[in-house]
Amino acid sequence: MKLFEYQAKEVFREKGIPVPQSRLAQTVDEAVSAGKEVGLPCVLKSQLLQGGRGKAGLIKIARTEEEIADISAELFGRPEGVRILLVEEAVNIDKELYLSITIDPVKARGMIIACAEGGVEIETLAKEKPEAIVRERFDLTRGLEPFRARSVAYDMGLSGDTAKQLVKILMSLHQVFSRYDAELAEINPLFITGDGAVVAGDAKLSIDDNSAFRQKEYRITRELFSSDAEYEAAVDGIPYLQFDGDIGLMCAGAGLTTTVYDLINYEGGSIANYLEFGGPNYRRAVRAMELCLKNPSKVILVVTFGTIARADVMAEGIVEAIEKLQPDRPIVTCIRGTNEDRAVKILEGAGLKPIFDTEEAVREAVAIAKRGEA
Amino acid sequence: MSIYIDQNTRVLIQGITGKEGSYWTKHMQDMGTNIIAGVTPGKEGQTVEGIPVYHSVKRAAGSHEIDASMLFVPPKFTKDAVFEALDAGIKKIVTVADGIPVHDAVQIRRAALSQKALVVGGNTSGVISPGKAMMGFFPYWIERVYTPGRIGVMTRSGSLTNEVTSMVVEAGFGVSTLIGVGGDPVPGVRFAEMLPFYQDDPETDAVVIIGELGGTMEEEVAAAIESGSFTKPLVAFLGGRTAPEGKRMGHAGAIVSGGTGSVKDKITALEKAGARVAERPRIVGSLLREILKKH
Repeated sequence: MKLFEYQAKEVFREKGIPVPQSRLAQTVDEAVSAGKEVGLPCVLKSQLLQGGRGKAGLIKIARTEEEIADISAELFGRPEGVRILLVEEAVNIDKELYLSITIDPVKARGMIIACAEGGVEIETLAKEKPEAIVRERFDLTRGLEPFRARSVAYDMGLSGDTAKQLVKILMSLHQVFSRYDAELAEINPLFITGDGAVVAGDAKLSIDDNSAFRQKEYRITRELFSSDAEYEAAVDGIPYLQFDGDIGLMCAGAGLTTTVYDLINYEGGSIANYLEFGGPNYRRAVRAMELCLKNPSKVILVVTFGTIARADVMAEGIVEAIEKLQPDRPIVTCIRGTNEDRAVKILEGAGLKPIFDTEEAVREAVAIAKRGEA
Repeated sequence: MSIYIDQNTRVLIQGITGKEGSYWTKHMQDMGTNIIAGVTPGKEGQTVEGIPVYHSVKRAAGSHEIDASMLFVPPKFTKDAVFEALDAGIKKIVTVADGIPVHDAVQIRRAALSQKALVVGGNTSGVISPGKAMMGFFPYWIERVYTPGRIGVMTRSGSLTNEVTSMVVEAGFGVSTLIGVGGDPVPGVRFAEMLPFYQDDPETDAVVIIGELGGTMEEEVAAAIESGSFTKPLVAFLGGRTAPEGKRMGHAGAIVSGGTGSVKDKITALEKAGARVAERPRIVGSLLREILKKH
């Protein structure tokens, strides 16, 4: 789960990382009074999870109260759906750095990535100036040792008081990383101000979903998703992605669902949604179909090949879902795996025509979607 | 011969008295797996399918020679259970848990690396040598998928493995050993680390890898082929060729981020190294036929 910048900055501040003064605003009036509190000029930052907000015009500087009113009105009206603005004091920037902590899955260690040139995305930096990037790995069981943090600062080419401040910030960032089971804790840019202070310009914190049971402060909210169906599916723990095509996928098994997604594209079809109801969700066909039906698709395609997610149980679920929800569109089924013979009987008993081959099922769904267009 | 497990491997089950543990213990035995002891804290003295249960791995290891441990332990307790098995000197550990915290997974893999152990999983169906033994839960009774044979299979997925492997069998082949490394971002063992075992296995003629978007495991396989350390024919099927960037496609590990993990890059790396990449599951079978005829 990714936190918004303002949430991540709260966490960073708590752990001792200097961040600019700021207030939150949900209306134009709130933005104006927030600007007065933090002082002018100020920066209006749209709280969205997408990267590249600066380039997209979602972050803007306001020099007067009138400008705050005009710009905030514009930002609240953006098609991206800006609900919250972070109104932040404008910092006098001398230099921008990059600092993050993530995981190295190959070496099985935490990894610090740092660079004396920040502000641009790290992938761009890695391509253009790979030699400028400092990587330092640490053992998660030991935690980040101060000597290693110092080593990062010196390898970045910093010295004196700036190096000391960076070490302190890096140690704090590690506390955040560890305390919040982070996949990524990132400060980009990390400002050095005209007065020589080191301050976090932006904050990214991505919490591992598998650690939700021990990271209870942050619950998913509607603002994190672009559609109601995505939000509801996430609350139910059903993997779901929203697209705008014709075929609703209701498949079991992540890898298989992704493969069906590819096969539809190969056949010239388009996907309305990706829904995966395998694993712990294989008994929830009714809920899964309900979510699929929220989408204006032309056909729902069910493909499964499960072991524990038994074919007969899933077939029963599909039949029950059809009876309860009376879908207004055709359902194509390709259900295989444990007890598949019984699954075929169940589907046939309900008047469905079970298909046994994934590619054939995909072609059938694409054909139905195309007929629907004509 | 097969790799990782066969009918002689002496297997411990951690979490043997639970619902999944006891259910799959019976299936593993029915398939021929040599299960010799089980562990559930507080349940010593009980038996499951005739297998004695101990309070701890240490106590089980005091009474039995153990080669491998199979974990039916919930994700939040998996790190502790893996450490317990590693501390008892067990070098092969399979965990099927789906939902292991990623920081725990990093520590599990680090501990395994430093003790030269192979921890398979989590978020996997496990390891199976059809007709011999399995650690995990596979529908081994579905013959059009789990027929014994001479093709090694490694996978990041569950249902997709059934789909692709059924195509291997449809093409007239069977499976020597199938290893599910799992769909998490930090799996205990990685594809490339298992290749040397397939390389040395006289009963494996070729290897199929079932990969997907995200991470660098497929690129590491390409590097192993390119370096000459793996020389048997290899066919890959990769899910997510048309997946959009930045979206997590079901598995926690299946996401293109930070400029790495795209299927396009993986295909380029594998083909450059001389591996064959199948665009669709069915083509895996025909590629194997084409390659193995030549050899």
